[in-house]
Order: sequence, then C-alpha cells, then structure tokens
Amino acid sequence: MIPTALRGASKPWLLLLPLALFLCTFFLVPLGQVAMMSVTEPEPGFGNYAHLAGDALYLQVFLNTFLTAFGVAVGCLLLGYPLAYLMAQSSPRVAALLMLLVTMSFWTSFLVRTYAWMVLLGNNGPLTALLGFLGWDPPPHLLFTRFSSTLAMVHILIPYMVMSLYSVMKRIDPALLRAAESLGAKPWGVFRQVYLPLSAPGMVNGATLVFMICLGFYVTPVLLGSPQEQMVAGLIGTQIEEFLDFGQASAMAMVLLASTLIVLAVYHRRFGLDRLWG
Amino acid sequence: MRLLPRLIGFLVAAFIAAPLLIVVPMSFSTAPSLEFPPPGYWLGYYAAYFSDERWTQPTINSLIIAFGTMLLTMLLVTPATFAVVRHRFLGRGIANLMLTMPMAMPHIVLAIGYYSYLGDLRLTQTHIGVIIAHTALSVPVAFLILSANLKGFDRNLERAAMSLGATPLRTFWHVTLPVLRPGFAISALFAFIQSFDETVVALFISGRESETLPRKMFESIRMQADPVISVVSTLLFAAVVLAILMPVLWKAVQSRRSRSGSGSAARGNGPAITGTAPSDTNPCAPARVQLEA
Amino acid sequence: MSKDVEKAGDECAPQGWSRRSVIKAAAGTAGALAMPAIVRTARAAEVLYVNTWGGTWEKAAAKHLFEPFTRETGVEIRTVSPVSFAKLAAQVRTGVYEFDVTTLGGGDIVRANAAKIIDAVAGSPLGANGPWKDAVFENGVASHAFSTIIAYRTDRFPKGGPQTWADFWNRQDFPGSRCLQRYCARVLPLALLADGVPQDKLYPLDTERAFRALERIKPDLRVWWTQGQQSQQLLRDGEVDMVGIWHSRALELIDQGHPVGISWKQAEIDRAYWVVSKDTPRREIAWKFIQSAVQPERLAGFCREALYGPLNPAAFEFIPKEEADRMPTGPRNYPLAFEQNVEDFGGNLQKVTQRFEQWLAS
Repeated sequence: MIPTALRGASKPWLLLLPLALFLCTFFLVPLGQVAMMSVTEPEPGFGNYAHLAGDALYLQVFLNTFLTAFGVAVGCLLLGYPLAYLMAQSSPRVAALLMLLVTMSFWTSFLVRTYAWMVLLGNNGPLTALLGFLGWDPPPHLLFTRFSSTLAMVHILIPYMVMSLYSVMKRIDPALLRAAESLGAKPWGVFRQVYLPLSAPGMVNGATLVFMICLGFYVTPVLLGSPQEQMVAGLIGTQIEEFLDFGQASAMAMVLLASTLIVLAVYHRRFGLDRLWG
Repeated sequence: MRLLPRLIGFLVAAFIAAPLLIVVPMSFSTAPSLEFPPPGYWLGYYAAYFSDERWTQPTINSLIIAFGTMLLTMLLVTPATFAVVRHRFLGRGIANLMLTMPMAMPHIVLAIGYYSYLGDLRLTQTHIGVIIAHTALSVPVAFLILSANLKGFDRNLERAAMSLGATPLRTFWHVTLPVLRPGFAISALFAFIQSFDETVVALFISGRESETLPRKMFESIRMQADPVISVVSTLLFAAVVLAILMPVLWKAVQSRRSRSGSGSAARGNGPAITGTAPSDTNPCAPARVQLEA
Repeated sequence: MSKDVEKAGDECAPQGWSRRSVIKAAAGTAGALAMPAIVRTARAAEVLYVNTWGGTWEKAAAKHLFEPFTRETGVEIRTVSPVSFAKLAAQVRTGVYEFDVTTLGGGDIVRANAAKIIDAVAGSPLGANGPWKDAVFENGVASHAFSTIIAYRTDRFPKGGPQTWADFWNRQDFPGSRCLQRYCARVLPLALLADGVPQDKLYPLDTERAFRALERIKPDLRVWWTQGQQSQQLLRDGEVDMVGIWHSRALELIDQGHPVGISWKQAEIDRAYWVVSKDTPRREIAWKFIQSAVQPERLAGFCREALYGPLNPAAFEFIPKEEADRMPTGPRNYPLAFEQNVEDFGGNLQKVTQRFEQWLAS
C-alpha cells in the first residue's frame, strides 16, 4: 500500500480508508452515543440539560472548574515564565539540563506525580513538618484542599507551559534586545517593552493548552481535592460510578466538551490551530 | 542576566524536581503509609510488588495493551499520513481535523462513550477493547509526529533512487523507511506511552481481566495509599530517566566513535542519506501535543 | 467459544436488525478477535469471582471461607476490589461480569433487590428460607454484623476523645478534623443522634433535620472515606483527628499500636448479606460458595479473625466469651448499640443519596 503512495497514485482515500473507518467506528460513534444518551436517558428530551441549567450546584461545579483551570493556567504562567526565561538566557549546557528535567517531569505518569504530592503535602510529610518547625502550631492540613489539588495540577501541567514558552523565547533575536539597550532602555524596560510582547505567543499557547487540559482533569482533583470543590470530570465520574446515571453524566460531558471546543475555536480564529499542536 | 530572575528560575526547577525525586526514598521506606522522611529503609515493598500477582498482572496487561496500541496505531496512521501529507484531495482538511480531534477530547467524555459502546460490543474487560480505545487516543500524536517528519523529508532522494532503476517497493524499503526511521520510532514510542499512562478511560473500561497499571495505581491510591505505589512510581520514573538518557548517551558514544575513526560510513548506505534524516527533532517538542488528564 | 459470543448470537435472532442486534452481531467478530481473553476464560473454567473489601476482611475471608471452599470443590476464588454497588448494577445491565458474589449492607440490599440486580434465593440450593430462621432477607443470606463507631487520635485528645455522636458534632469541646463514610444511609442516622433524636425514635429518618445537623460540622469534614482501608490510612496518618469508622478497622489500628481510642457508645450496627449477581454464568458455584460461607464453623472463624458478629446463631458455639467482647453484637457492646432499620428508612435511598452527593459538593 505504501509504495503506491510513492508513485503519487491518485487514490489517497484508499490509504486513508482504514484509519477513517477505525475512527468512525471507535471514535465518532461512541462520541455520538454520549450525545444520544444525554437526550434519551432515562427518557427522550432535554430533561438532563434542563436539570443541569436549573440546579445551582451544577452551575457552581462548572464555575469552580473554570476558576480552577484559570488559576492553574495563571500559576503555570507565573512559575513557568521565569524557568523558560532562564533556559533561553543560559548557556546551551544549562538549558539542555533544565530541558531534561522538564522532559522527565512531562513523561512521568500523572499518577506518580499525584502520589508524590500526597507524600509531600501529607500530615507526616516534609511540608507539614517544615510549617510546624517554623512555629505554625498545629500545622495546617494541606491535603484534600483546593490548595493541594491546584498545586499538584500546576506541577503536572507546567511542562506544557515551559515548552510553549521556550520554543518562542529561543527564537527571539538577541540583537533586538541589544538594540533597545543601545537606544538607552533600562533592563526592565527592555524586558517589558520588547521581550514580553515577543514572548506573548508562547504565553497564549501555553495558557490555552493548560486551561484546556485542566478543564477535563479527573485524576488529580479526585485524589487530592476537597469534596466541596469538585470539578466537572469528577462529578461525571460520580454520576456513573455511584448512580449509573448515564443521561445526566452524558449531558455534563457534552457541556464540558462544548466548553473545550469553544476554547479551541476562539484560539483557532485568532491564531490558527496548527500553532497550538506545534 | 540579573540574579533574581535566575534564582526564581532555579527555584521553579527545584519545584519541578522535588516531587519526582521524593518517590525514590519513599520506595525504600519501611513506613506502612505516607511518612517522610522514612523511619527506616528496606526492600520489602519491592519484594511485595514483584511477588504480588495483583501488581504484576496489571503491569503485564499494560505492557500488552501498550504494545498492541502501538502496533495498531502505526498500522493505521502510516498510510493515512502519507495520504494527507503527499496528496491534495477533496476532504483533506476534514481528514486533517478528524485525525487530530481525539486529542482535544476530555478523556472523561470518551470514557463514558466507551463504557457504554464497548459494553454493547462485549469488549469491556478485554485487552482488545482497551487497545481499541487507546488507539483512538494515540492516533493524533502519532499522526502529528509522523507528518512533521514526512513534511521535512526530501523527496529528491526517492526520485534519485527511482531514476537509478529502483522499484517503488525497493525505494520505500531502502530509502524512505531508513530516513524516516527516527520519526517512526518517536511516533511509535509516543503511542506506546500514551497507552501505558492512560488512566481515565482504562478506569472505566478495563475490568478484572485487563486491568491496567494506572487503574491499579489509581484504585490503590484511593483505597489506602499502599506503599507499593512508591515502588511502582520509582520504577516508572527510572524507566523515563533511562528512556531520555539513552539517546543522549548513544549520541555521545556515536560522536566519540566517529571522531576516532570513520567506521560508521563503511556500514551504512553512505553518509548522504543518514545526513538528511530529521533525526535532530527535539523529542520533547512533539510531546506538547499529548493531552491526557 | 466463549459464552458471551454464543449469547450474543442467540439474542440477534428474535430482535431483528435493531441497532443493538447489529452491534451484537459485530461483537461476534470482535469476540473472535479477542482470543487471549477467551483462552483465559477457558483455562480458568472453575473460578469464582468475589468482590471484597480488602485488608483484614479479605485476609480473614481467604483463610476461613475461600481456601476451605477451594479445597473442598476445586473451584479457585479470585477477588475483585473495591466493593461497588454501581458495578453490581452495571454488570447486570451490560452482561459483562466482573464478579459473581458480593456482600451488601442493609440499605443497599433493599435497593439492589428492588432494582432486580441480585439472584433470587428461592431458586438456589439453600431453599427459599435458608439454613436458619431469619437467614434470608431481601434475597441476601445474612452473614455478619458490623458497626460504625467513633475512633479518634489519642495524641490529639489526651484527656479523652468524643464518646457519643453529640460529642463528635461538638466542635467547641472536640476541635479537629472529622471524617465519615461517604454513604448517606449510615451517616444520616448519626447526624440525628447527634442532634438529640432518641435512639428508638430514629426511624423513619427525618432527612431534612439530618442534613441541617451535618451542615454544622461541614467545615471540619475535610474528606469522606469510601473504602475501609482508606478510613484506616486517614486516621493512622493523622490526616483526620476523629472518624466514624467500622469497629474492626479501628480495633486493628489499636492492635497495631497506633494511638487510637474508640467508643462503643451509640455504635451503629449494620448487617452484611451475601448476594449473587443476577444472571451470572457462574450462578451455581456462587450459591454453593455462599452455602459454605455461612456454615457455623467457617463463619465463626471468619468473624473471630475479622472481629465481626456472626449472624448465624450456631456460630457462637465456636467463639470464646472474651472474644465476643470485641464484637458489636457481643453481650457487652450490644446494649450500647442501635441497629439500622433499613425497611423503614424514610425515603427513597437512591434519591436521598443523590441529595447527599449534591450536599457534599456544595
């Protein structure tokens, strides 16, 4: 099959067919089934959506999800920027070492990193001990709070941010900065007026990615978060695991999906999707 | 560069490193639960991991499923990538969109879909069911990496080979494939890892017979924060470190060898072809596209 | 061939070409592709899957219930965790069985029987009335009693911890973080007791009042446990200072030397029943297992090790008096305790559970 491609055969669809069939059967159909279930279970109609819209709790969970995702994106930006900046300004050797670290973190399973935060933030963990040592008596409980799940998510998603930023920053021409300096700009001014705007695309990319992933985050909030501050994905899981309420869960899933797609669409209109995956 | 921004940068690096490193001493700890620093050290939990079928079986399952996902993904994605990259045709834009779409889906949404759909097909709790779901999730990553590599491929090489009389098949085997090998390898590796780490979908559809390692870990953390998790975590982290350091070390060895003599030129098809390989693709750059939560 | 595939084929015929039947026909092909799974099933023909609570529960069950049964019949028993009511319902709905046998508490068994997801005792080898009087309830076979009691960290309350549920709700005198089971059928009665409702007037439950009472300690309820081992871990690691926990789990912590104190006062007794998942292909073996698991001697062994109170009266012959003091139904503790009244719950458990989950999340 592949050699025909080399000749520039006129049947690209034939090459595409197996994958297209596969994705139709095992991606579009299941996805369509979720959409169907949201309007057919337990009875036909938009009852599930009406229920979603009419219940303050669901609105609160969605709001909470958006706020958390926003907070995580800001957190990643605030922490990721200095690191990416350091990488862009350092010698190649230091930059490579830092990149190695970021890559290691990226490739390490979500669960491993979530578990690690359970150890770090636990009642018998080093952070509690440190706070106790600093005179906080009794030291506060850190686990199962909004703080613990947000912090862990920032840690888990920061590699996306750093990579986005770094790939933009390393393309910034140092000559521009030198030019600004030679025109008498102070270092802070150079940074604010030249460097920051030039690195903005990386910030937008990274923040969009982090925000989008965070919207559908399941594992970390469920394991580390507080029950009062659930996120949508966790609530969907409960609807299935506790109540087998596929209709309500599917409706929530569709709203979550729509939110994600809206974020993507807005990004696409302004910047073009190709850049995001780049 | 000023000192303060530098310092903050290094602090953030420490923030990234600390959680990764803490699981290592934890895995040797004698404590029955979450306690740091460990009260003592031993290898008991390693023994527990390797001797307990409830941990080793999910590990084996995950390896089988990840390998199956990798094979199926590459089988489906390779021809499709050639079609999309090398041909202009009606619906190409749609094909492009569809190939990347699974990436934008929150996994919980697909988890519900698969739970119900694969249940109807009697495929929940089977390896093949999880492989199918994971393949759908791995397609975009594999496609993006492979197409990036294919776009950078110099087609003159193929034309040269064919003008010298090579059949298309020979050209593919002896020119296209060797040049694109790093792209294939990275693409396949990502499909493998995508499957091996995937938690949410597996949580819902892998059952008793096909329980994956992430599912076992998730349940185990939720149930009791079993110390064996720290062992699994350390092993997974060690695998990542190895996987990342290996190419670096390999490169170092290679460059030393090529400096000490030109042994490599005699082995391969000549330096001209290997030179054009887009092998210097940063392995982390395509990693950005992996969306798993 | 696997049974699932055959079944899928049978079901195709009468239904015509509905969406489901097409899908099921496709399943035939897919099933053939799923060879490794089939090979596994064939190899393990004589296996029974039991849903367990893990930890002490599983250790005791393995020693006193599973291993003797395997020796006797050659049927291997494999365990599946965690215990999940939804999974029980889901597997009847999908026809893909993760486990064949599980235990349900009083509240869930009423719910399960109403939803027709458990097999009828009447058609089983035990007979409709079971091995002893009152053995069968809502198509479950009574096994053992357990209770939810108060446990606390003695290092946080050196002068004595909360003794009653009113103490547990008293944030002034007993400050600290609290934890309860994420299961409203067990939690709501405790809230009412704390709010001053007398033990004999609990049922039917005044759910409104219970939620109001829960609201009072909500800020201290940082986490809710769902699995027995999780409740132990939370208390052992000091993540919480007091917890409503199953007595056996608390006693185990004390035996391991952890700084934990308990109170038997107002212990909430629940009963566990063995049930068989409806339409499981291993139905026969499942009932045979249950029959063996409630034999007086085996049940006594299980209860002695896991510290439960056997519900088969004949089992007490095998239990020394001093050990009965560590059981919720023993002569010392039983007068302090109260029993769940699941038949007079005071509302639809499913609906109240929905409401409870909403309240949790808000």
